[in-house]
Amino acid sequence: MTDATVRPRLLSPRTKVWLGTFARWGTILGLAAMILAFAWLSPRAFPTVLNFTNVLNQASLTMIIAGGLTVAVLVGELDLSIGFAASLHGVLVTGLIVASGLPIPLAVVLILAAGALVGLVNGLIVTKMKVNSVIATLGVGTVLTGLSFAYSSGVPIVSGVPEAFLQISLGRWLFGIPNNIVLMVLVLGGLWLLVERTALGQEIQAVGGNPAAARLAGIDIDRIKIIGFVISGVCAALVGILLASRLGSGTTSAADSYLLTAFASVFLGSATLRDGEFHILGTLVGALIIAFGFNGLNIFGAPTWSQYVFQGSILIIAVGLSSLGRHLAES
Amino acid sequence: MQMSAMEVGQGRRAVPPLLAVSGLAKAYGGARALSRASLEIGPGEVHGLVGANGAGKSTFIKCLAGLTRPDSGTIEIDGQPVGPLTPQAAGDLGMSFIHQELAFVPGMTVLQNIMLGLPKKTRWGMVDWAAIARDVAPVAARTGITAPLSANVKGLSIAENWLINICRAQMRRARLIVMDEPTASLSAKEAGALFQAIRDLSSAGVAVLYVSHRLDEILDLCARVTVFRDGQSVAELSGATLTRRNLIDQIVGGRRAEAAAKVDHTRPQVVLSVRNLARPPRVHGVSFDLRAGEVLGIGGLVGAGRTELARLIFGADMALAGEMRLNGTSYAPRSPAAAVKAGVGLVPEERRAEALVLPKSVAFNLQIANLAKVVHGRALPFVSTRRREAMALRIIRDLAVKVPTSGTPVERLSGGNQQKVVIGRWLLRAPGVLILDEPTRGVDIGARAEIHRLIRDLAASGTAIIVISSEPDELPDLADRVLVMAEGRVVRELTGSGITRQAIVAASYAGQADHSEARNGDPT
Repeated sequence: MTDATVRPRLLSPRTKVWLGTFARWGTILGLAAMILAFAWLSPRAFPTVLNFTNVLNQASLTMIIAGGLTVAVLVGELDLSIGFAASLHGVLVTGLIVASGLPIPLAVVLILAAGALVGLVNGLIVTKMKVNSVIATLGVGTVLTGLSFAYSSGVPIVSGVPEAFLQISLGRWLFGIPNNIVLMVLVLGGLWLLVERTALGQEIQAVGGNPAAARLAGIDIDRIKIIGFVISGVCAALVGILLASRLGSGTTSAADSYLLTAFASVFLGSATLRDGEFHILGTLVGALIIAFGFNGLNIFGAPTWSQYVFQGSILIIAVGLSSLGRHLAES
Repeated sequence: MQMSAMEVGQGRRAVPPLLAVSGLAKAYGGARALSRASLEIGPGEVHGLVGANGAGKSTFIKCLAGLTRPDSGTIEIDGQPVGPLTPQAAGDLGMSFIHQELAFVPGMTVLQNIMLGLPKKTRWGMVDWAAIARDVAPVAARTGITAPLSANVKGLSIAENWLINICRAQMRRARLIVMDEPTASLSAKEAGALFQAIRDLSSAGVAVLYVSHRLDEILDLCARVTVFRDGQSVAELSGATLTRRNLIDQIVGGRRAEAAAKVDHTRPQVVLSVRNLARPPRVHGVSFDLRAGEVLGIGGLVGAGRTELARLIFGADMALAGEMRLNGTSYAPRSPAAAVKAGVGLVPEERRAEALVLPKSVAFNLQIANLAKVVHGRALPFVSTRRREAMALRIIRDLAVKVPTSGTPVERLSGGNQQKVVIGRWLLRAPGVLILDEPTRGVDIGARAEIHRLIRDLAASGTAIIVISSEPDELPDLADRVLVMAEGRVVRELTGSGITRQAIVAASYAGQADHSEARNGDPT
């Protein structure tokens, strides 16, 4: 009974520091390694300005919707409605322009407001009715899918979409940079400022970090959570609009798959630079990893199924390795 | 007092005691939680364990349960010394532990919960619940479980949950069941069923170590009682020496001090006035006045309703009756946010769970109640890193927080420095009323003295302060006036030289006795 033995240290302090560093920089190193590998394997098709612009252009929509989702997960909730909401908003915005003949700017503003409304409903269900956010947003998302079919009868709205609407996504209004990229930089820059630099952002981080402590520090946590859902909802609406503009049609279920890609980006991002915390910059890196991975696979003519296998395994490997490294570093 | 039908003395001579612990010691860092604690239980004996908060009862139980390893001392079972205990080994040796936080799976049946974690009979590879039910039924009936075994545990009372745990211990063939404050949340009638189960266990040869603050229960159930004080076993009382008076004397240590009722009438104005504040079952009709610059201590046993009272004042829970006035105007906070706005702060009991965002920096944790101070302005709500840094550095310097930089995550700080960060958060707001719940729990002695000085300085600057403490010497050191609570009521007010550790502990138990007499008179 008397031998108060100290447990032997499994790892030396130096190894731990190294592991901690690896946990933080692993995803970025992985991204760099992947880009270098693709460039080496396909020196003519992959490492070109045109291809990189193309990748970034396509990734922009993922980044915007994932940026909004990052705020929702930062307040400690999951928003599973984003993909379905974006699909519905895409259908609605084309419908408003084509069928109802609304001016494009008005239709866009209305849809963004509708996105905020969806977020508000999600937030109220979660905070006031005390429904788990997975259930609440899955339910709302399913209802939105239904509304989308009801509105369009499941038929894509393709004819009569004005060229001006297509130009929202396809245009290059600023120094020849694709609009999607410009918008993505504006949205993610704004979200970064909001989360990292504003008073509201500090409250968002506090609520996600420890809701009990945030409440006892005098923060109205319900309000903060609702704001998180509204931001996520508005970003989903913007992506719905941009996707409809890029496709030139309002198609039910067009944006559904963004849900999985957005979650993968956000969680890859949580394994980036910070110890398992969600943050906007990390989400950006996460989305880049997935975008470059897809692009590389495409260039080598890999079949479609391999993209899903890639996305699923890279998520588990990256988050798993980072989490394991951190765990060992703290042991 | 009723004597149980047990031959304790004979049993001890005839066979070695079931459990014999001697000289158990345990220190956490520099703080000695346990030193020279000894205790002996015979087979089938109901043995009481009493002591004030912090006397070492919990640490002692943790050592027995294998949850913490003692620094020295021996534990013998049936006269055989046992090696370092693990929870698994403790169970194999026939010891079962039932805590206030009962382990339950709400969606499962009574039977499933009884068999939780136990090997189950199978038939062709499938769990044979019918056969198990046949085995369990007689034990459950003996334990006094009236609910059918197939019932869902969801609707059952806490008392029935205790019985299920006792039944589980028996299925595990436990020879000693340790019960920690079993009646803390039971009504008198429910407690009766539990006492019957304990007597039945005893006559079936199962020993019970009964840990409780409630002396009337101890006197009723136990033939022998061990008293802990300051981490030592100071007395073993039985037979004629086992009286309420002797128990209190031993718990308190030395003679009981009589409180001097000296009221100072020259106090400044009342800041917070509380009248008949209630939220049953934890808080019943509490009234007091809190004056500017005063440090009001609230003493009492764990579970006396002190934290719950603080939560009512801070708006974390809503009072169901009574009223409060803050600076002369009506005050009924509906949320902590409203309380903070009105100028009330709370340093909660569980600083890691309720006060800090652990992975975030010192500066972040300081600012979350002070965002208005660190932004550029109302119109431009961006956090000024310069202002934030200046604010954090001021608190780090003024409170002597030992930390490399303001960007260090608070989880890397010691308990004392973490507590300084929480206090610093409220210092920055300069609240009119600050409530500190166990401000020096888990804090080393040096930091404790610094935190005490901080509290006194804050009071000197005019803040009205409430300190809730279970540390034996904290309130005599710190408070101008002490209210002692028991069972949700204020049972004693101590002032001036009347504030002694002995007076606080004695009032805690005395108040409980007064109240339990009232409760026994109640037909419910």
